[in-house]
Amino acid sequence: MSDPWADIRRLRRAAPRDRVLRASFLAFGLAVLGVWLFSGVSVIGIHLGPVTGDTSWGLQVPSEQVRDTFSPRRWENLERFVGRLAPRVTEQDGTVVGWFARLMRDKGLSAMLTTLAVAVAAIVLAGACALPLLWLGARNLARAEPMITAGKRPGPARHLLWRSQVSGVRGLFVFLRALPEYVLAFVLVVLGPGAWPAVLALAIHNLGILGRLGSEVVEDADLSPARQARAAGATRAQIAGLVLFPQTLSRMLLYFFYRWESCVRESVVLGMLGVATLGYFIQNDARARLRYDEMILYLLLGAVLVLAGDLVSALVRRWVRNA
Amino acid sequence: MITTPTPTHRALPLRPFPIGARAVVLVAVAVAGLLAAWYLGLHPAKLVPAPDARGLVADVFGSAVSPAVAYESEGLPSDIDPLLVRVGGAALRTLVYAAAGMSLVVLFGLVLGFFASTAWWADEEVGASDPASQSAWLVLRYCVYGVARIVIAVMRSTHELLWAVLFMAAMGLTPLAAVIALAIPHTGILAKIFAEMVDEAPRDSANHLRVLGASPLQQYLFGLLPRARNDLIAYTFYRFECLVRGSAVIGFFGIETIGKYIRDAFDNRHFHEMWTYIYALLIVVVVLDLWSGVVRRRLS
Repeated sequence: MSDPWADIRRLRRAAPRDRVLRASFLAFGLAVLGVWLFSGVSVIGIHLGPVTGDTSWGLQVPSEQVRDTFSPRRWENLERFVGRLAPRVTEQDGTVVGWFARLMRDKGLSAMLTTLAVAVAAIVLAGACALPLLWLGARNLARAEPMITAGKRPGPARHLLWRSQVSGVRGLFVFLRALPEYVLAFVLVVLGPGAWPAVLALAIHNLGILGRLGSEVVEDADLSPARQARAAGATRAQIAGLVLFPQTLSRMLLYFFYRWESCVRESVVLGMLGVATLGYFIQNDARARLRYDEMILYLLLGAVLVLAGDLVSALVRRWVRNA
Repeated sequence: MITTPTPTHRALPLRPFPIGARAVVLVAVAVAGLLAAWYLGLHPAKLVPAPDARGLVADVFGSAVSPAVAYESEGLPSDIDPLLVRVGGAALRTLVYAAAGMSLVVLFGLVLGFFASTAWWADEEVGASDPASQSAWLVLRYCVYGVARIVIAVMRSTHELLWAVLFMAAMGLTPLAAVIALAIPHTGILAKIFAEMVDEAPRDSANHLRVLGASPLQQYLFGLLPRARNDLIAYTFYRFECLVRGSAVIGFFGIETIGKYIRDAFDNRHFHEMWTYIYALLIVVVVLDLWSGVVRRRLS
């Protein structure tokens, strides 16, 4: 009878290995280990996270800040916070229901609507901009087969042009999605008040994401209908618009709604930069006035909105998938 | 006599519009977009800054082409680090916070994802022979599943910055609190996706293990998880990218990541320096994006 461990060892040796993947995992593991062992936040005596601004590489342990995490001052702060959580019912309100109705009427409802509107406007703008661009980022359209029939072989210059077109558009998508929405909006706020900075920031970031996902959807598409259209004399633009667009629309709509969900999440937060979404009332209004009861209410409204967005998106996606 | 040939087949009925039901969605989306734009008062003319703000706009965006390589303010003490070292430190700290958050995210995401998945629920019960304990096990299972789903929904329904605001109001934002705030929503999202991926993974190995007498946990760990492994790893890499963005942004609340430096440079009107930090963040995220693209391609 053979030794089972020998078999296991043999199987293990035979398993495929990938250097890049192993190096990636190793780097990742070492990074996590290093962070917990050598930096500054205290977790039961283990330090994590650099704190002071003077330490340029930040991996020293600023002990006073570490102790501060669980200092008595923090606990007093927490007590004060909890003490202010109960709804402050005024005389006109009468009951908690009146308090809720007043806040919803004055701020909550319009803040929720604005949050939703920013998310919708941004994702529609992103989708409208991504739709014409994503065809240029699909590798399977940027070559001779099946778009050009035999007899007219394109030269090397044409191939170079195609390749640079695809990498150019894909590179553009990478850059558009690299910066977080919050940073984009922070810079765009100089354009002036109103919802434009938030909408533009969300649209730019999501254009990068939708563009890449859309290009990948086109790359995964079955090209035989496109070949038939080509044989019937369709041009490249006609193939993209009349064959591939209907063919890939369902998948694209799935991604569109998936990104809309995260737009709702981000739209709540972008209010902190001035547009009157829920984030504005959470941070700049309620917290600034130390009205923690209101703050929690708006936080909950944001959570409800995000979960409702998820639900709507899931329902629409299921409907589209079955259509 | 000439006879016209009669058609031997009838043409298939054509759908009136090639897109069908999806056209409804497209039109609804367009209408919703216009309604939203109308509600927010988005007019292209409003994109043109007011005359008195034009100088600032030109300053901010004009500086984008010439990011600073040295401090903009004069007369700084000579012993402080050069600007680029500071930028590097800020970028590194952004990664440090993201890595710290990620270790929590993966750990708790896997655990929550296990409880939120149904794939390990064996059809015939293990270790419970009498119907009473079997139904108790069933009830327990559904309770754990429900609680896990609710916890996941609560975690991901609130953005990391809002968790940070909450912590800030409650105790003040320490680095540890920032890491936890970062980790909470991403843990929820990761757990949800983990559960879905494991539930959709092929069940063949898990079924074999069950026939051999493996417990549900063993089936999950050695039958289901390895089958979903590649998808899980690819998605985890993508989450890390998101965490790096979140870690940068949490700096706007005073944590020493890139966001804090962007805000400070803006407040001091050092716009060239601000773009240096923005470009540093851009480079970090683009490198990660390309790296995770390589990993994804190798996994599939």
